[in-house]
Amino acid sequence: MTNLNAAAERGRTILATRPLNRWRTIDLLTCAFLGVAFGAIYWAWGIAYAVPSEILSAPFAPLGALANWPWLMAGILGGLIIRRPGAAVFAEVLAAAVSMLIVTKWGAMTFVSGVVQGVGAELGFLLFGYRRFGARAAMVAGALAGALEAIFEWYSYWTDWDMTFKLAYLILLAAAGAVFAGLLSLALTRGLARAGALNSLPPGQEARESRTIA
Amino acid sequence: MNPERLPDPTAPEVIAAGADAPVVIAAEGESGPEGEVAAEAGSEVLSRAGAAVDIAGLTWRPYGRATPVLTGLDLRVEPGQRVLLVGPSGSGKSTLLRAIAGLLQTADSGELAGSVLVDAVAPQDRPGLVGMVMQEPGAGVVASSIGRDVAFGLENVGMQRAEMAAPVAGALTAVGLGSLDLDTSPWTLSGGEQQRLALAGALALSPRVLLLDEPTSMLDPENAAGVRSVVAEVVARDLLTLVVVEHRLGPWLDLVDRLVVIDARGAVVADGGPREVLASHGSSLVAQGIWVPGIPDPVPLTLDLDWAPPALAAGTSVATAEDVTVRHTRQDLGRAPREVTAVRGGDLTVRPGQLLALVGPSGAGKSSWLRVLGGMVAPTKGTVRLGLAGETPPHELGSVELARAVAWVPQWASATLLARTVRDELLLTARAVGLDETVATARAELLLDALGLRAIAEVDPRLISGGEQRRLAVAAAVLHQPSLVLADEPTVGQDRLTWAAVMGVLESIQRAGSGLVVTTHDGGVTAVATRIVGVRRPEPKKTKKPSKKKLAKLAERQEAERQEPSVERGAMRVGGGGRLAPDVSAGVAAEAAPVREPLVARAGPLSPLLASLMVLPLPALVTSWRQALWIIAAEVMLGAIALWAPGRGARPRGRWRGLLLRAIPLSIGVVTMAWSAWLLGGRDLEIASTAGLRLVALVLPSIVLLPFVDPDALGDHLAQRLHLPARPVVAATAALQRFQAFGELWRELMTARRIRGVGAGSSWVERSQEIAGVTFALLVAALGQAGRLAVAMDARGFGGARRRTWAGAAPWRLPDTLVMLGGLLVVAVGVLTVVFPPG
Repeated sequence: MTNLNAAAERGRTILATRPLNRWRTIDLLTCAFLGVAFGAIYWAWGIAYAVPSEILSAPFAPLGALANWPWLMAGILGGLIIRRPGAAVFAEVLAAAVSMLIVTKWGAMTFVSGVVQGVGAELGFLLFGYRRFGARAAMVAGALAGALEAIFEWYSYWTDWDMTFKLAYLILLAAAGAVFAGLLSLALTRGLARAGALNSLPPGQEARESRTIA
Repeated sequence: MNPERLPDPTAPEVIAAGADAPVVIAAEGESGPEGEVAAEAGSEVLSRAGAAVDIAGLTWRPYGRATPVLTGLDLRVEPGQRVLLVGPSGSGKSTLLRAIAGLLQTADSGELAGSVLVDAVAPQDRPGLVGMVMQEPGAGVVASSIGRDVAFGLENVGMQRAEMAAPVAGALTAVGLGSLDLDTSPWTLSGGEQQRLALAGALALSPRVLLLDEPTSMLDPENAAGVRSVVAEVVARDLLTLVVVEHRLGPWLDLVDRLVVIDARGAVVADGGPREVLASHGSSLVAQGIWVPGIPDPVPLTLDLDWAPPALAAGTSVATAEDVTVRHTRQDLGRAPREVTAVRGGDLTVRPGQLLALVGPSGAGKSSWLRVLGGMVAPTKGTVRLGLAGETPPHELGSVELARAVAWVPQWASATLLARTVRDELLLTARAVGLDETVATARAELLLDALGLRAIAEVDPRLISGGEQRRLAVAAAVLHQPSLVLADEPTVGQDRLTWAAVMGVLESIQRAGSGLVVTTHDGGVTAVATRIVGVRRPEPKKTKKPSKKKLAKLAERQEAERQEPSVERGAMRVGGGGRLAPDVSAGVAAEAAPVREPLVARAGPLSPLLASLMVLPLPALVTSWRQALWIIAAEVMLGAIALWAPGRGARPRGRWRGLLLRAIPLSIGVVTMAWSAWLLGGRDLEIASTAGLRLVALVLPSIVLLPFVDPDALGDHLAQRLHLPARPVVAATAALQRFQAFGELWRELMTARRIRGVGAGSSWVERSQEIAGVTFALLVAALGQAGRLAVAMDARGFGGARRRTWAGAAPWRLPDTLVMLGGLLVVAVGVLTVVFPPG
């Protein structure tokens, strides 16, 4: 992952146009399209995850967290791509709302999870002042999204667990959020940029500026 | 006050809302040819006519390119002038159009220098001053109904709702869509109608310059002619300045008075009257692939590829279809599924060396024929057999076996490119089916030269031009010489060069003995076809020897099917703001009697959502299964009331069945939850049932209520009732419109992989890799759509819409209050069970 990180950490990070709170149409639409596409992905994972989740949680229930990180990705991705305050919340909440409307078994809880995870990821980027979008920021965003979601689930799904289980679940979901969701979102951002899908957005610009000019 | 068409769109008296073409109230020139008017008119008339466009020193270099796309371009377009802009593909024509609209930086980033002025102001200073229609039908659709879509620009400029009706009706009438219901879904329109809708969206803002970026290149000839005639009418009516980019010049020549040619470096090389420019530059335009009138169709490329088609037993057909029926279901987010019959009881035989041309109007089922022949969909009824596959129906073949037998060239094949270099793309299927590497490489080298792809053989195919992608996709589909080739409108939108390439590839593989089935409107293709097969939209089914009772039923069904088109055109909604329960089928909706609505369906989208959210504090309260049971009892009672449909009319169907279907995932979740609680909680039944019932109490309100949240209306309510920021809400609503399209694209990408021989086998790892690959491709395509939509939306004033209005009302009615009270009641029961614990 050091390679992925190199460009960003050398200070060649390209930021969103100023003022940071002035969203261009392309920022809004990119975020919205990501949200809707990930809504479908979330819904599909909501069906597919049952098997890995059961296998993982059989020996130790909190290990089920290792099947839950894919639902953290839209927010991290939104933040990494758009690089404006609110992007993580927007993408994650929209994805959650779409998967809720397709009907998941969790109903309106899905929506609240989306808000909680989006806010978690958003806090990650806020901590870096919306100036860092490399591996470190992605991992912090993922960890916070996972941690907040875990705490929300303490009170909604896992009310019967004792504190050891609850803490184990929190740590595992935060770690999975950082390592899997965070770094995968970063790799996906770079991949989309290389495929020419983010030309008017900061990651696309980074990719084009670093490419040998032809 | 001048009775003219003003830049100010709040002048309703100018626009006639009737069925006839609107009349421009002008002092002179009502009947005379508009050219004369422009010539004779004084400054007053000119001010309401088209605007002048002044481009000076325009330079544009997108980041990552060494050379600018446009370099120091100077161009002046006089008010009311109609310009046809031509040049080779990649020469910056679309870029120039976006520059005139002031939208270069909307979906791209780069260095911009020089100036563009429209009547001496920057084009984006007045929203909608410059109207734009883009190449891809539907690319600019923002709303779920045509009325809302046309009103989008008016919302952006802050027009009051009451004033919108007249300009919306006027714009729709002007483009010939005035007879459609305003609630019609844009996604049920034909491509040509979608292009006219885009034009109406621009006209609603009274533009003074109209920019058309290959508006007909993705349309069949009839639809294309319809779009052109509408353009001619509105340009004449409003005396607009017009700039059109097209590859087929002929049909536009009568409409324009100036032809501007730019070269591959984005410099103007010829400029003047269309006939003179064609006389002096015609041959160089032909060489660049532009269709110049009077020049015969290009000769298909001659390819000597040493094809070796798979041998079939003597007398065996390449493919046979007997009594084939294809039905498919369309499912929109939060809408009733609709079943469409695409092919009914059809027969078709393809023999070696034949080229069958399927012809017929759009929507007749031609593409469905290709899909069923190629095993991409299973026939609902009847049999399809391939000569190579014996008795195995093609839809049951594995990816590699299918690829050996069949190739598929979808209309816009570029979305199905899979490899990382152009050369690997050509060889992809050949390698998958195990074609001899020397033979395959030799063919690939030949094709690289013949199709002009040699110089980019090592480039990532996602980054090459559209024309190059299409040539590549056709060659890559057939390089391994399958016995059956299916091509969907392979020549639509092709310039002369890609046309010659595509036809050359298809003809040479036909000569070698493969069977071809091609859907087409192109006379150049039907001229070389072995057989032309007319395809009609399926008629309602006839039953033999029907009994009296059956006859009555049949009449009823035929009535329903006759009404099907109008149902598909969005008459799905019933009542003001209400909607059908999700499981009521379209056929039922078409019956005459109005259907009673469940009580909850009479509420807006917001209250069911809020009520579902209201129960969320409950799990923190519930500590025993007895409490949960009380809450569930309250929920069941209230749910039954919510789904109750009192009043007159037909009984709504499918309420309870739908509820049961939605309860299945919940039941699984409850069992899992109870099971793990049982294991963890020392195998205590009490703990297990508490965990399970708690989840039921939490999710039950969602299962009853959420299907009644209309995603399209939700945006209006979120913005107007909850005062969420307008622009993100609009963006989210527009993205939701594509949900269905994402599903179709997903299936298309999966199909492309399977038929190209690289579909996943049964292994878990292969399947995961395939899903990851297709998901990535889908995201790339989705973000491409987002870019085009951003341009379309900003062209209608969305970029500067800080204070926008809403064409749709967001009323809060009594049912909304009742739904909220119901939610509160459930919470109250929960609190009561805490204060007075049951049992």
